[in-house]
Amino acid sequence: MRHALLIAAKDLRERSRDRSVLLYALLLPLGLTLLLNLVLGGVTDPRPFRYAVVDDDRGPVAAAFADALRGAQDGGAVEVRPAGSADEARRLVDAGDVAAAFLLPAGLSPDLAAGRAAAVEVVGDVDAPLGTRVAASIARSFTDRLTSVRVAVEAARRGGSSVDPAELARLVAAEPDPLPVVEDPAPRRELDPTTYYAAGMAVFFLFFSVQFGVTSLLDERRDGTLARLLAAPLRPSSILVGKLLTSCAIGLVSMGVLVVATSLAIGAHWGPPVGVALLVVSGVLAATGLVAVVASVARTAEQASGWQAVLAVALGALGGTFIPIAQVGGPLAAVSLASPHRWFLAGLADLAADGVAGVWPSVTALLVFALAGFGVAGALTRRAVRW
Amino acid sequence: MTALVIAGGNLKRVLRDRTGLFFLFVLPLLMVFVLGLAFGGTSAPKLGVVAGGEHLLSELRAADLAVTEYEDETALRAAVERGELGAGLVASPGELRVVARQDNTGQQVRLAASDVLARESARLAAARFTARQTGVDEDAALALVDSSRVPVVEVRVTTSGEAAFPADVGPFDLTASAQLLLFVFLTTLTSSVALVETRRLGVSRRMLSTPAGTGAIVVGEGLGRVAVALLQGAVVVTGSSLLFGVRWGDPLGAGALLLAFAFVAGGAGMLLGSVTRTEQQAGGLGLALGMLTAALGGCMVPLELFGDAMRTASLFTPHAWANQGFTELARHGGLLDVLPEVGVLAGFAVVLYALGAWRLRRALTA
Repeated sequence: MRHALLIAAKDLRERSRDRSVLLYALLLPLGLTLLLNLVLGGVTDPRPFRYAVVDDDRGPVAAAFADALRGAQDGGAVEVRPAGSADEARRLVDAGDVAAAFLLPAGLSPDLAAGRAAAVEVVGDVDAPLGTRVAASIARSFTDRLTSVRVAVEAARRGGSSVDPAELARLVAAEPDPLPVVEDPAPRRELDPTTYYAAGMAVFFLFFSVQFGVTSLLDERRDGTLARLLAAPLRPSSILVGKLLTSCAIGLVSMGVLVVATSLAIGAHWGPPVGVALLVVSGVLAATGLVAVVASVARTAEQASGWQAVLAVALGALGGTFIPIAQVGGPLAAVSLASPHRWFLAGLADLAADGVAGVWPSVTALLVFALAGFGVAGALTRRAVRW
Repeated sequence: MTALVIAGGNLKRVLRDRTGLFFLFVLPLLMVFVLGLAFGGTSAPKLGVVAGGEHLLSELRAADLAVTEYEDETALRAAVERGELGAGLVASPGELRVVARQDNTGQQVRLAASDVLARESARLAAARFTARQTGVDEDAALALVDSSRVPVVEVRVTTSGEAAFPADVGPFDLTASAQLLLFVFLTTLTSSVALVETRRLGVSRRMLSTPAGTGAIVVGEGLGRVAVALLQGAVVVTGSSLLFGVRWGDPLGAGALLLAFAFVAGGAGMLLGSVTRTEQQAGGLGLALGMLTAALGGCMVPLELFGDAMRTASLFTPHAWANQGFTELARHGGLLDVLPEVGVLAGFAVVLYALGAWRLRRALTA
């Protein structure tokens, strides 16, 4: 172990003077986080849908509809404003000021009271399909309630009930709702955009910065210093362990600085320090392990860094460091489980929602990546240098 | 002629780097695929359902909701919390429970599904009432309810305005052009590393000692960058249309946009390759600038979602103009419709080329 530490200490001294380490471990992730946050940090939750309502009815039905609209506005996901006329409402829709307009025609209340057919019109912006869809849904929920009593009366009558329809209607109205729709609020288990970009960039570049340790094994082989190290009175495994330690140290310093810097500079919310530390340590180990496998397969340092870049970018893209891939769902979300990046980011989201207890699944998964990586890299390196 | 040879040499060098080919061709196509799946086309609200029952599920699907069935509530809840679903619905004999987040996304999906849920609730209420009133069993009562026609209050939905996008825009179409721009610019910028290497290894000095003039070298290096950009563009365009059926719109318009953008990227790459001193500098700056301009130009998040200030700032990136051009093509525009965008891109290219050539000439002859 002492030899491994000596090798790591020597490597770290060398790396600390290497400007590319500084670039990949700190400058690029920090710079890109700041830039992405500046450009995209403000793009968060979709804006509320804005609707206009035109009341040409001025009767009890319109009043009930206004109540229904007030209910829909409660969550803040919908904003409704009155418009003077159908023409004005259409102009608002065409101008994109509102996503849709509700038109309550004159005579709606008397028509309904008399049992005549009637219609509520929803005029939607053709470019706001979801907004129009939601408007139609709000209107239909309202009209369905109006007709449900009549449907029940009609069905009972056709089923052979001899009770007077007016009495049936009274009985239906007194029925308790058999299938109440209840709301069950769920917390957001997602990082805010600022934290997401900070964490995504940090873990993305982690897979580049840890390369500087293990890959130097290939430099040593090229320069002939590996043969000299092997001839020295130390256990060959100490060499690999020393290189791995170097990688881990660079990774930890990089992540540590990035966590602190993004928290201070742009207010990223990484979460409780203990949980962040657990995720960072296991993430650094996982990155080092996987990068070590590539280094032990490659023949030259150039080849290794090329493959490592492919691995880092592919796993990063798959793991959602640029876009939240998990939200795609389906097979792609399942495939993303093969990316340590995804576990790291999911771990942070769990940390935000459940506290430190929430990080264990992610930490475990990351440690599995690390152990698998170290195991394979150890076996392959052993064969390469014939310990 | 000499310039073409130098450009050809540049292209050959890029193609010989096998891992580079991954970044050049495989990664862009992969991202087109992934993002097309992620955000393409379907704006259908995503709803997860536990124990829905046939009737309710078919009603929800008929209402244009993207319905996924879940085995148990724990999985559903996790998916909602992580944002994989807009909202979730847990059906049980006594109630319909809607699991939704309190943000706009969650609430909007909840509202989009609310008519189906209200109708289902009313339907069951009517059936239970009918069964009690007439003594028929529940299934017969449901059949009576489903077949009862009463004059209903119709909700007539019409849309107003001209569609920004025709209905036939595929799920991959718009993300594909955005990704193409991101990668063409990014790889061209990072390929400036080769230019720095050429200078550092003294290849440029040796070229200067031949009868080739600085002019030819400068033009050749510039064209080399453009050739890489064009080749990448051609492969991504062809590959994505063959593999994922991406429609790039009018071929002349798309070709003009791509050509103009390739020249902008080539100019930027040459400028970066002449002002930086080491390969690390060129690579790092190329990556950072490539990502920044892509993000600002609407390649990561569509420009329509930007605020006013950011939208104005985006006009300083070639990406925003090219994205606007491809959007125009997706709306069935032709070459004439994208001429303004092509013109602006040509302006970008001229300025970047002039600067790049000036700096490179100084770097070579100083």
